[in-house]
Amino acid sequence: MSATHHHHEEQDFLFKYIFSQDHKMISKQFLITGFLMGFIGMVMSTLFRLQLGFPGESFWAIDFFLGSWAENGVMAPDKYLALVTMHGTIMVFFLLTAGLSGTFSNLLIPLQIGARDMASGFLNMLSYWFFFVSTIIMLISLGVEGGSASAGWTIYPPLSALPQAIPGSGLGMTLWLVAMAIFIASSLLGSLNYIVTILNLRTKGMTMTRLPLTIWAFLVTAILGVLSFPVLLSAALLLIFDRSFGTSFYLSDIYIGGQVLEHSGGSPILFEHLFWFLGHPEVYIVLLPALGITSEIVSTMSRKPIFGYRAMVTSILAIAFLSVIVWGHHMFVTGMNPFLGAVFTFTTLLIAIPSAVKVFNYITTLWKGNIIFSPAMLFSIGLVSTFISGGVTGLILGDSALDINIHDTYFVVGHFHIVMGLSAIFGMFAGVYHWFPKMFGRMMNNTIGFFHFWITIVCAYGVFFPMHFLGLAGVPRRYYTNSEFPLFDNMIDINELVTWFAIVAAFAQLLFVFNFFYSALRGPRSSQNPWRANSLEWTAPVEHIHGNWPGEIPEVHRWAYDYSKVDENGEYVSGEDFISQVVPLGPNEKDGGH
Amino acid sequence: MVALVAIVAVLLIVISAVQTLKIAELWAINKGKVIYEVTKKQNKTQALLMLVFLVAYFAFFAWQVWKWGDLMLPVSASEHGVITDRLLNITYAFIIPVFVITHIFLFWFAYKYAYNSNRKAVFFSHSNKLELIWTIIPSIALTVLILFGLSSWNEIMTPVDSEKEHVLIEVQAQQFSWNARYAGTDGKLGRAGVEFIEGVNAMGVDIKDENSKDDKIVRGEIHLPVGVPVQFVFRSIDVIHSAYMPHFRAQMNCVPGVKTQFNFVPTITTEDMKKITNNEDFNYILLCNKICGAAHYNMQMDIIVESKEDYEKWLAEQKQFAEN
Amino acid sequence: MTSIALENNDYKKEIKQKTAKPLLWIGLMSIVMFFAGLTSAVIVSKGTAVWETIQIPSAFAISTVFILLSSLTFYLGERSLKSNQLAKAKLFILATLLLGLLFTVTQYLAWTDLYKNGVVWAGSESSAAGSYFYALTALHLLHLLGGLISLLVVNFKSIKEKYNAENLLGVQLSSTYWHFLTALWVYLYLFLIFIA
Repeated sequence: MSATHHHHEEQDFLFKYIFSQDHKMISKQFLITGFLMGFIGMVMSTLFRLQLGFPGESFWAIDFFLGSWAENGVMAPDKYLALVTMHGTIMVFFLLTAGLSGTFSNLLIPLQIGARDMASGFLNMLSYWFFFVSTIIMLISLGVEGGSASAGWTIYPPLSALPQAIPGSGLGMTLWLVAMAIFIASSLLGSLNYIVTILNLRTKGMTMTRLPLTIWAFLVTAILGVLSFPVLLSAALLLIFDRSFGTSFYLSDIYIGGQVLEHSGGSPILFEHLFWFLGHPEVYIVLLPALGITSEIVSTMSRKPIFGYRAMVTSILAIAFLSVIVWGHHMFVTGMNPFLGAVFTFTTLLIAIPSAVKVFNYITTLWKGNIIFSPAMLFSIGLVSTFISGGVTGLILGDSALDINIHDTYFVVGHFHIVMGLSAIFGMFAGVYHWFPKMFGRMMNNTIGFFHFWITIVCAYGVFFPMHFLGLAGVPRRYYTNSEFPLFDNMIDINELVTWFAIVAAFAQLLFVFNFFYSALRGPRSSQNPWRANSLEWTAPVEHIHGNWPGEIPEVHRWAYDYSKVDENGEYVSGEDFISQVVPLGPNEKDGGH
Repeated sequence: MVALVAIVAVLLIVISAVQTLKIAELWAINKGKVIYEVTKKQNKTQALLMLVFLVAYFAFFAWQVWKWGDLMLPVSASEHGVITDRLLNITYAFIIPVFVITHIFLFWFAYKYAYNSNRKAVFFSHSNKLELIWTIIPSIALTVLILFGLSSWNEIMTPVDSEKEHVLIEVQAQQFSWNARYAGTDGKLGRAGVEFIEGVNAMGVDIKDENSKDDKIVRGEIHLPVGVPVQFVFRSIDVIHSAYMPHFRAQMNCVPGVKTQFNFVPTITTEDMKKITNNEDFNYILLCNKICGAAHYNMQMDIIVESKEDYEKWLAEQKQFAEN
Repeated sequence: MTSIALENNDYKKEIKQKTAKPLLWIGLMSIVMFFAGLTSAVIVSKGTAVWETIQIPSAFAISTVFILLSSLTFYLGERSLKSNQLAKAKLFILATLLLGLLFTVTQYLAWTDLYKNGVVWAGSESSAAGSYFYALTALHLLHLLGGLISLLVVNFKSIKEKYNAENLLGVQLSSTYWHFLTALWVYLYLFLIFIA
């Protein structure tokens, strides 16, 4: 009896936690895996910041973490590039694509649209496991002969194609490509599910114009993923052919290691085109979910409807559309046709319009609100700030004439880390703080959250703002040290300051890690609707049940943003400052947004 | 041993943190609080911090400009660089006010409209007029920026008229050095390709091509005459590099299998720039700005801008390719 | 963990009816983007490098006929199922599988032809044009392999008479994918003629 019982339990455990097809569990799996990778990526960045702030000095930490990559605690120049490459790859794809979109699309899509689960739980599970395998392969590549991929996260050939050019382009690069191919499969499976679920499984009354903005963001993100990731796959395949079978898609006229290579007729620029056709939408694949999450939180915590719902949706669509016709702005100095450069400048700068609309709408949502500063709200406000601070410099970089002189300098590093890295990670933190009760049935500690936010935002600006100045002084990115150029000797102070901020920022994340695990295990139990929010996920019981709602799925009667709605006497319509989406409209009540 | 102590220490810290937190929460519950709600006091503090942050952020910005402003690139040493710098300033004039004003609104509103149970938030869900305004204003500003940007871009990217007096230089990148070849008296560069690389002929110049006989190959530094247009042709023989000459606001990738080009007119001699920057050791520089391998951080060549006479004297001293 | 509805077979079936086709269609969209990426790569390459002219093997024309026929038989099979003519359906679906296999064979023949004409896949003798020829057709065939596997399953089930006019979702999915592959091949074939 006990033996069979035990066996049964084991199976239960396996299907509940490991091979779960339940979207809420898969979402947690994505979150934990994503954060683990993010943590590794962050440690990497702290290590190479040590080298940049104190070039050539020996550090215990570098020795401890890098081992054979660093002799006597000083990292080797090519391993510096390996770290930079893996940091970028991990942060962009594993943390901010899979970790962010995978977590919140999975958690929120069925719950916010009123579905029992994703369209295909099986594909959804597969999506996570592909991601997991890809994670493992990527981590294994850190330990192979020659080191991991070292050609930058953009893996431009020929550098990424030739082991003679850099040791990391050997087995490490092969594993990188394999891992990415599997990652793309994972991302596509996920996106398929997200799109079909949103389009087909909405509950009664949940029209497209009543969808919370989170869902709009996830939908458009998934569509972008389906359109652009296959192109990256084709680019990666051709690179694999060039590397492993001796074709010449990207390679031509190369003399390296004392001999002329057999490749001829290929074009490295072709790879750049294919890569950035994904690469730029990828920026928005990372950013849009964060913006969607923020829209939801800003509105809930201001106790006000999000301002300009339709404009918000339109700008998401506009940003997504523009994002697939701007990739050339990464290639202004590749010798591209100047006319083409002009076209790309034009489309690129246009993105500023929908972005500006979003910012203004966020700010207007705060205006005359009744703001509760939960940690989630703090991070959302932080996101608006980083989105502005990083966004405005995009007008400089997107302008081909100006890009010539700051292309690939630290100005770029500062720009994209603020506008995309910080914004996305702030959105992710905001989402975790906000929907933690939905995920774990417990609440996170606010006080630790406050400290986490303030230290993080101060240090984040401390790290990335000075980089603009480095860039304007002409300091190129991806330099192991700036000490070889007398021109840059005065910059060492800036680099040192940046490194100190980076170290503090890294340690501040331990606050979050602690808060996360403490709260998940010991935190106070949450009520069903702790933020007194309107959207559908808060009508589901705190305890997770397969199928989300006991009994019928609730019907939806209004949009998600009826906060502080008053009748003609100035009294709250519902007696409270929020009205759940499931409450029918009153006899004289107009539908809030429409 | 050290590791063990460290692990124990970390464990102790975590355990005591957990206990402290638990006690604090129990304390709060005892006092009858819903412990996860943001308290009035906390909300007030956070609102105030919004304002503090706003001021601190601007102060940090100002401090950086004050402290590092003079580390920026000096005045442009090329003709088109002046246009670039002007465009940059125009863009600044647009984006810095946007940055400042939106931040003031963002953090001021956050501070001002912090939660107050006596007040109701205003149900304000959209306003076509407002939304139209802030679609149109950025559009107009962007139109201006785009027009300025495109006209500058076209001006910069127009190649030197081959009829006009100019210097033609081919720059070849390889891991991890630069080679340069002057077109010589005939003003034409001879054929070159990786298949011709052999021994001293590191640039792979075709000996049989008539045009290559008078070409002059230099290493370590290139000289440019002030005031004469310089047409660069870039090549790479291994991976992608990028020829970046920050003082001239010039950059172009060097791509294996493809020839790229860029041109500019140097306007300030090295000697004059030494005075401008107040730095005796100043030198113009060409550096690699596209990740190209382990020693990417140290791939450089000096550029010397001098009077036309000095330049011609220097060039005359360089050996012709046929002499090698 | 309590379970609601999800374990219920009717519910599962309903969800499948509702979502299987959209899932497939969006999946097809991503395959379209994959080949769009590849074919635009060809166009970019053609614009920049020396482009070798290639004689298109006649076997490709034959395989085009085969795959068009296979789509036709699949369509007829599906129609027979809809009118519950199961015996006829079995035959058509089997014919589809055979035609699919013939397509595969002719593809292989075309490659040997290409090889004989000196068009090689890789190495010093290869050119970008030739490599693209192999890559495009092989990647299409790789997708077709998935179609063949689904056809095997469909054949197996149709022989066991699991399908009828009320229950043919599996056939519909398989045929949609198959018609897509046919269309993709026709596009690629025309494209190959264009770039050769």
